[in-house]
Amino acid sequence: MIEQTHESETISQQQQGTCIHCNLPVPTSRQTDEQPWFCCAGCEVAYAILQDMDACLLEELNNSESVSSSDLSYEEMDHPRFRELYAREVEPGLFRIRFHLEGMHCASCVFVIEKLPNYLPGVISARVNLTNTSVDLIWDSTSVSLSEIARTLDRLGYRPHPPQHNDAEQIFQRENRKYLIRLGIAGACAGNVMLIAFALYAGMFSGMAAEHLDLFRWTSAALALVSIAWPGHVFFRGAFSAIKTRSPHIDLPVALGITIGGIAGLINSIRGTGEVYFDSLTVLIFLLLVGRYIQFRQQHRALSQLSLLKSITPRSARLISHDEILTVPIEVLKTGDQIEVRAGDVIPADGVVYFGDSAVDESILTGESRPRIIQNGAQVTAGTINLTSPLRMEIESVGENTRMGRLMNLVELGVSSKLPLLELANRIAGIFVLTVIVLAIVCLGIWWSSGVKIAVSNSISLLIVTCPCALGLATPLALAVAQGKAAKRAILINSGDVIERLSKPGFLWLDKTGTLTYGKMQVHEWYGDRSLFPQIRALEKQVVHPIASALTLFIDQQIGTEEQDCHTLQDIDYSPGLGIRGEVDGSQLAIGSEAYITEQKWQIPTEFQKKIAECRQQGLTAVLVVADEELLVVLGIGDDLRPDASATIQKLQSDGWTVGILSGDHPEIVTPIASRLNIDPELVHAAVRPEEKLKIIQDSTSRGITVMVGDGVNDSAALAAASVGIAVHGGAEASLQAAAVYLNRPGLAPLKELIDGARMTNHVIYRNLLMSLVYNVIAAGLAIGGLINPLIAAVLMPISSLTVLILSFMNRAFQEPHS
Amino acid sequence: MSVLYIALPVAILLALAAVIGFVWTVSRGQYDDLETPAYRILEDDQKPKSKDKSN
Repeated sequence: MIEQTHESETISQQQQGTCIHCNLPVPTSRQTDEQPWFCCAGCEVAYAILQDMDACLLEELNNSESVSSSDLSYEEMDHPRFRELYAREVEPGLFRIRFHLEGMHCASCVFVIEKLPNYLPGVISARVNLTNTSVDLIWDSTSVSLSEIARTLDRLGYRPHPPQHNDAEQIFQRENRKYLIRLGIAGACAGNVMLIAFALYAGMFSGMAAEHLDLFRWTSAALALVSIAWPGHVFFRGAFSAIKTRSPHIDLPVALGITIGGIAGLINSIRGTGEVYFDSLTVLIFLLLVGRYIQFRQQHRALSQLSLLKSITPRSARLISHDEILTVPIEVLKTGDQIEVRAGDVIPADGVVYFGDSAVDESILTGESRPRIIQNGAQVTAGTINLTSPLRMEIESVGENTRMGRLMNLVELGVSSKLPLLELANRIAGIFVLTVIVLAIVCLGIWWSSGVKIAVSNSISLLIVTCPCALGLATPLALAVAQGKAAKRAILINSGDVIERLSKPGFLWLDKTGTLTYGKMQVHEWYGDRSLFPQIRALEKQVVHPIASALTLFIDQQIGTEEQDCHTLQDIDYSPGLGIRGEVDGSQLAIGSEAYITEQKWQIPTEFQKKIAECRQQGLTAVLVVADEELLVVLGIGDDLRPDASATIQKLQSDGWTVGILSGDHPEIVTPIASRLNIDPELVHAAVRPEEKLKIIQDSTSRGITVMVGDGVNDSAALAAASVGIAVHGGAEASLQAAAVYLNRPGLAPLKELIDGARMTNHVIYRNLLMSLVYNVIAAGLAIGGLINPLIAAVLMPISSLTVLILSFMNRAFQEPHS
Repeated sequence: MSVLYIALPVAILLALAAVIGFVWTVSRGQYDDLETPAYRILEDDQKPKSKDKSN
């Protein structure tokens, strides 16, 4: 609505004699009869180009069949329940909704989406937020349906997702604003107190009238009190909880320094003599809050935008009611409902099949690549994919009660119950507090003979100058810089403590499928009679199976895709997990595993036996082809190791990491791969279910730092429970959310880079802490020597922070390797 | 130097005004999304409607 009034304003302005393009006055000579007016030829040309582009671009985008669009109908969005759940009525007939959009990243995206009201009548406004990739839509429900808006967004290449219900994002936004306000107030106080302090320093050298001295002192005291009481109260809260839980925290020495400094300054202001340290105190609060804000921002989990369960299960289901099939939102489903699941669709709930035969891909749950055969009465689980033909099922459980829902609850539990890391800075803080108090007492003792007043004043200045400002900045800064640099190298780190956790070697568990390997079956070896290839392809085309598709793809590559359909097939018999046989072009053809062939009592000649053994050694599955009772072809099929896997694992092992494999796949596939990678057989766990993976990881975390690397939904609970969960390139949405790190580059080399980078960043943190401690030692020495005054304190403190800042930015962690 | 008794409060008031302004912008959500507005100005909000329809 606001947009529209704005628009009519510009047009009316234009009519009053300003250029439509740049809004400058239009000379009378150019004020022609024809609108719009331009102030110069340049504006006219630029305007024409822009408008043409605008119109063409939109038209083209709107009409094009974008490659990335899916053919979803989004019909479920027109269900009243959907609107009730996600949209809000702003005016009668006008609704407001927020969608998360996939694939939105640049200026053109903003441009195209915000133009939505122009080419989709009924959409009142569309406002994009790039930071959390969402769009805020207001639409008129009488002239356009929500599903049409969703389809348009989809066609443009931005798949819309309804927002999640939990309010993590709103909490983040509220916290973010609180931090900013605190920063603003602390900054304003610090700046003004510093200006006043300049006057006081000048007075220190050239003398100042007592009344002015009082004025400056009282003003800075008032400002400092505001700073301590409002933005500074976070440190007191932190210190209180540190005392309550008896765990050291950096807030403890900070709160101590602020309290004593504030009280001493206030007493000295009242008495009108002695030092006030208000400038140091307010700057301290401001700088520490900057550090705290950096820390807060880096801990925000940028990826948690969709709830886990919703990212796996579909949003809509086909409900069967009174012999009719309705598309309804998944929230409507309840136990006892009957639904239809088409071939290729994701199963939306747990239940029992009562009609249809099909195969279901359960790799999302089990990690096993072979599909399971489904018949009447079979149990199916939400999140798995129906592969070959439509199924009708009766729902037993929905949403969080499904097996997938329980698994995702485990993931969320794992993320939230992870033991927080006691940061190095905080561990130091405990010792630091003790040391400072001891030093203050020592200082008091040394100066006691010179009078109580001098002794107390020196002790107080010691407490103030040693306040750990640089210490509070050292860790967050180094971590923030490392995170930024890592992101440029396509290593996305969700939370800063990952880097501290990776400082020392520990256990490293790798998933096999998709992590160590490509996650895709391929023919690697073959031996025998090539002339049988067309018949093999014809027979394998009859089944949906990873090995069958690997075979057909391989044969397509070998002999081309011609002469596809000129085979006659008869009497096909498919034994799931073993093989297939049938009559092709009049001859009996059987394709299957060694067990399948020997079961039929066909002979395997010795030369083929040798080949089969070779395949097994390489970790390949041997597929045998028998034509008319004679073995003619052997093919070695396997999921290839990533080329950098071996080298990366070797390097990690030599760095001291204990590397193991956790795979849901069969031992006979996992073991050869483990031996090729030189992984201790005792650390290889094959055929483990997601719950067992979680168990192994939990056992391992109790023994030391545990890193889990995986890509699938079946890894996600383990990823969440591990000290550091790392999701690899191409991983499932759930794994990305459960993991603390996402390697957005194929291969395992980024893993090594991450671990090296983390080690280097930890060195930077140590160096930072050391530097700030050195400054504190110097300051403490000066204070004990009675040499400190507010001016020296005011200079020392920012210099130590500056040093930490420079050291943090000048580190080589996550730098591009020199070629 | 009694001008200080006026100058100092004025300075503080100015700072206060700045802080109030900042708090207002924060609570209006002006810092929530720092990316999109930079791109939004690239769009022309004047539309070619008038040109096509008036002729």
